[in-house]
Amino acid sequence: MDLMLREYLPVVILLALAIGLGLVLILAAAVLAVRNPDPEKVSAYECGFNAFDDARMKFDVRFYLVSILFIIFDLEVAFLFPWAVAFGEISMVGFWSMMVFLGVLTIGFAYEWKKGALEWA
Amino acid sequence: MLQSDLATVLPELILAIYAMGALMFGVSSGKDQTTGTLTWATAGMFVALALWIGFGNAGDRSAFGGMFTDDNFARFAKITILLSAAAVLLISQDYMARRDLARFEYPVLVSLSVIGMMMMVSAGDLMALYMGLELQSLALYVVAALRRDSARSTEAGLKYFVLGALSSGLLLYGASLTYGYAGTTLFSGILSTVNEEVPLGLLFGLVFMLAGLAFKVSAAPFHMWTPDVYEGSPTPVTAFFATAPKVAAMALIARLAYDAFGGIPDDWSQVLSALAVLSMFWGALAAIGQRDIKRLMAYSSIAHMGFALVGLAAGTAEGVQAMLIYMAIYVAMNVGTFAFILSMERDGKPVTDIASLNMYSRTDPMKALAMLVLLFSLAGVPPMLGFFGKFYVFRAAVDADMAWLALAGAVASVIGAYYYLRVVFYMYFGTEGDRLDSRMAPAQWLALVAVAAAMLLGIINLFGIESAAALAAESLVR
Amino acid sequence: MATIILFAPLLGAIICGFFWTLIGEKAGQIIATGLIFLAALLSWIIFLGDIPETGHVTILRWIESGSLSIDWGIRLDRLTAIMLVVINTVSALVHLYSFGYMAHDENWGESEPYRARFFAYLSFFTFTMLALVTSDNLVQMFFGWEGVGVASYLLIGFYYRKPTANAAAIKAFVVNRVGDFGFALGIFGLFFLTDSVRFDDVFAAAPALATTEISFLWMNLNAANLIGVLLFIGAMGKSAQLFLHTWLPDAMEGPTPVSALIHAATMVTAGVFLVCRMSPVYEYAPDAKTMIVVVGASTAFFAATVGLVQNDIKRVIAYSTCSQLGYMFVAAGCGVYSVAMFHLFTHAFFKAMLFLGAGSVIHAMHHEQDLRNYGGLRKKIPLTFYAMLIGTLAITGVGIPLTHIGFAGFLSKDAVIETAFVGSQYAFWLLVVAALMTSFYSWRLMFMTFWGTPRGDHHTHEHAHESPMTMLVPLGALALGAVFSGMIWYNVFFGYEDKMRAWFGMEAAAHHEVATEDHAATETAAPAETATATDTHGAAEASAAATPEAAAPHGAVPSGGIYLAADNTMIHAAHDVPNWVKVSPFVAMILGLALAWLFYIRRPDLPGKLAAQQRPLYLFLLNKWYFDEIYAFLIVGPAQWLGRLFWKRGDGDVIDGSINGVAMGIIPFFTRLAGRAQSGYLFHYAFAMVLGIAALITMMTLFGGAQ
Repeated sequence: MDLMLREYLPVVILLALAIGLGLVLILAAAVLAVRNPDPEKVSAYECGFNAFDDARMKFDVRFYLVSILFIIFDLEVAFLFPWAVAFGEISMVGFWSMMVFLGVLTIGFAYEWKKGALEWA
Repeated sequence: MLQSDLATVLPELILAIYAMGALMFGVSSGKDQTTGTLTWATAGMFVALALWIGFGNAGDRSAFGGMFTDDNFARFAKITILLSAAAVLLISQDYMARRDLARFEYPVLVSLSVIGMMMMVSAGDLMALYMGLELQSLALYVVAALRRDSARSTEAGLKYFVLGALSSGLLLYGASLTYGYAGTTLFSGILSTVNEEVPLGLLFGLVFMLAGLAFKVSAAPFHMWTPDVYEGSPTPVTAFFATAPKVAAMALIARLAYDAFGGIPDDWSQVLSALAVLSMFWGALAAIGQRDIKRLMAYSSIAHMGFALVGLAAGTAEGVQAMLIYMAIYVAMNVGTFAFILSMERDGKPVTDIASLNMYSRTDPMKALAMLVLLFSLAGVPPMLGFFGKFYVFRAAVDADMAWLALAGAVASVIGAYYYLRVVFYMYFGTEGDRLDSRMAPAQWLALVAVAAAMLLGIINLFGIESAAALAAESLVR
Repeated sequence: MATIILFAPLLGAIICGFFWTLIGEKAGQIIATGLIFLAALLSWIIFLGDIPETGHVTILRWIESGSLSIDWGIRLDRLTAIMLVVINTVSALVHLYSFGYMAHDENWGESEPYRARFFAYLSFFTFTMLALVTSDNLVQMFFGWEGVGVASYLLIGFYYRKPTANAAAIKAFVVNRVGDFGFALGIFGLFFLTDSVRFDDVFAAAPALATTEISFLWMNLNAANLIGVLLFIGAMGKSAQLFLHTWLPDAMEGPTPVSALIHAATMVTAGVFLVCRMSPVYEYAPDAKTMIVVVGASTAFFAATVGLVQNDIKRVIAYSTCSQLGYMFVAAGCGVYSVAMFHLFTHAFFKAMLFLGAGSVIHAMHHEQDLRNYGGLRKKIPLTFYAMLIGTLAITGVGIPLTHIGFAGFLSKDAVIETAFVGSQYAFWLLVVAALMTSFYSWRLMFMTFWGTPRGDHHTHEHAHESPMTMLVPLGALALGAVFSGMIWYNVFFGYEDKMRAWFGMEAAAHHEVATEDHAATETAAPAETATATDTHGAAEASAAATPEAAAPHGAVPSGGIYLAADNTMIHAAHDVPNWVKVSPFVAMILGLALAWLFYIRRPDLPGKLAAQQRPLYLFLLNKWYFDEIYAFLIVGPAQWLGRLFWKRGDGDVIDGSINGVAMGIIPFFTRLAGRAQSGYLFHYAFAMVLGIAALITMMTLFGGAQ
């Protein structure tokens, strides 16, 4: 019993130190600090956005478009890797299957190009 | 080997190549001028393929090591899908053109989705199943949000997509369980597993997969997306949702049940019965409160899927035959009804409020009469064809010693009759209000009147679909 | 030819009823009328020609079920020919008459079309009546029977905005239902006993029916009598005989041409026709015939007494009709069917004429129908007056006694009374008294209408005008019939038995006895079986009916339109009655005329005094013996109470209550529930799906596979 309690002693000391230090710092700020508040100072900090604002704010949809298109071709490459590694052992069917796949993707690519999805202006 | 495989999937292959070609053609000509041409070409393509498949007279065959099955059942379903998709394209054309919705992508997406459906009904493997299902669904998600600057349309697309993803997840989970316990994704392999002994995990896999598919046929309680999506989507898209995909998903359930789990009909039969009863009643009850005819049709399709599931739940060849007949009649009725809904407009703006049909019989007695026939048929009033559809599924249920199911169906159809007849009431006895425009595109008029006439004339011999469905059912239930 | 006669009116009704919007009202009327005239012309050709034997025309197969086999056919014999002439002639003239009578009608607005509907109904009625009289079997006859009922209902209620007209139409229909129930039971009974509803089979089996007993509850009934009584109940309803007569006076709510056609000349005589048509059965049903005589004579007397005091011109004639129908039934019940038909024939002419004449008066007086508001109209409408005068002379039976010269009614009514003298003393005396009263009320009507000083509204009297030609021509045509029809056809209906037999296509009397015994002998076997209803007998019957050709020869069918049993010597006896009997109706007529003259010309104050003095009797008669009141108390009241009980409590509370509870309580509750579940939130939907899959998994765990 004693043994177990003794093992937890450092935890108790750390707890006491943490609480003590925290109290000291807060009290020090309250006692010593120069107070000159303005709205920007008292608002919570959020990187790049206003903290309390409409979450559905507008920003350019092309961010998404590009990222989605990127993902498609990213996956294509991910698909190509194992195919390339095992290239020596697969048959002609395997080869042509990948060619068809690339062809289909190319058609998609041609479509988005023609549609103007890649024009950033 | 490869050549015969390719020959088997030739219709799908041709359609796929056509779809990609159409995409290139459309995008290269710019600004949607080619939409009309493409729509007609696509519809023509569908009809040609349907005729080819119908008269091709190929026997039962499979390709890619059993992953793709081409039998009478698949062909029956494919013809239904192709013809209904063609009909929907044609009746929508006018609406799309006038509502600034004429995007050339629409017929292309419909073709892609139809390829998916054809894959679904021919699936002989869990992977083929999933591939077809997703090809179909992804195209549908997009067309649901076709009117992308409308909040309701995008909401419909998003809801459909999110819930569809959930259902796909359920399906995939079920498929992986099945694969885990059966050790194979081939239907034939699963079938030989369940014929020996049935681990509980396999049953769970079955339930999850059926749940995922139930979402596609919008069977309760997986139907919640249907009313919102039907209402929010552009009406032509709704018409499409209500027809071909339902046939495909229903056929897929049949295929899964018989080809993969044919050894344990009692197990899936109880799941399907539960879904059927819930759908029939939920569809009938919830529809009563509707004011919007598209929502009404959503609940109507939920109820109708319940009736079709009754046929499947019977677990006999007769049941499959009844389901196929039911689906064929259902699709025809919906094409006719949506042809009318598409033409509903006042001062050039589309309306979908049921109350706007007030005293429609006076504006246009001929169309009102055709609608009356269709609605009676939907309600299952003899002597319209709709009655025979119900009659077949109920008889299948009774013959399979599931009289309680048929009885529940009969009660549900009585409740359901109310809301169809309410529309008729508005058309014939309502109070006179602002009149609808009497304009209607020729294709819509033709579809409406032809289907209404078919509902009456079909009682002679059901246009022969009875024997075709019997052949189809025979090839599935061995 | 018979087929054309039968279907021409139907064609007219269809064209006029459904297509007048296309061709116009006037064209519809003309087409309907033209077709009826065509039918009338052909009818006369058939009637005047020779009908050697019964003709059969099969038009279509109608019902075949088990041993029941019914064809739609025409039976053409003398009886049919007489009815064809009566129906088509009167109908054609009424159509013509209606052009004038219905030209303006204050029950309808200026722009409301009603004429085509009226003509279509008239033509439809004519068709159903023809179907009735030409039928070759009982079921087709029943079709016509109900068809005329429907047409009568539609026409009585033609002024459907008048509550009284609707009430009268319903009353006519409901009272007729009582009779029709008897008729239907009679048909069922005949089918049960003879396994056929074809007249030929039934007639062939008639002798056997006489020897068949039917056990019903505790009673043993003779089959022929039972059938006879049941069929007569049907006839009572249609022909407004005592106890089922109450609808006829009320039926006068219909337009007057309708009263002339349906409620005087044709439909109400269907009952008489039925009895004559079924004469082969009645000849073997002595008790049923006695009942017919008693009911007929009582009706003749009763209706005449009520007719004495009625003030509505049409009601007087209606009661007169009722009374004359009683005469016909007496003749038929005595077994002298030809005389019944004779009176039917002549009555059709003069009664239709009286009604049309009354219609002409009413037309002239701007729809005033009360006799007390008439008077002195002789000068105003002379042609109508002469027509009515001829009608009255005919109905009262004016002629030279002991000769065969006189108005139509003289010959036929005297024939009836002479027959009655032989058949039943009770009937004879009632009929003679009724003849007296007939004379009295007919002349009362004439005197009050055409003699004396104008009473009632001055304005109306000043504007009284003669009717147009379309209304007068039919009156003239009917006048010819009323004067001459009796003298021309007296011999063949009644005068000489041989001629009568030849005319009706029957065998001569001498051969007849042999023939009767002959088929009576061959027939005893089969119907004896019929009585003992055993299983083997059912099978035998079924097999017999399966081959109708084989079954047909199982009895010689009596030939001719009517049938007289071998021992029926009524006609002969009726010719030999004492002279005082022959003169008695004439004396009664003169007495009635004298009384009427005394009351309404000589001493116009007498009727009032008499009525005051004999007030109870007067009220008794004025209120038609209180039949309506008694029925209202005994039958209508309880029936309505019972109906209301079923309606309010049974149907309203129990059935509607439970259905409404489900339809308007439980189902909307679920609908609201479903509506609330459809919240529009994605997470709710996803949650529902998850709940669903959980439930399905649970179900599978509990009930699936391994368990």
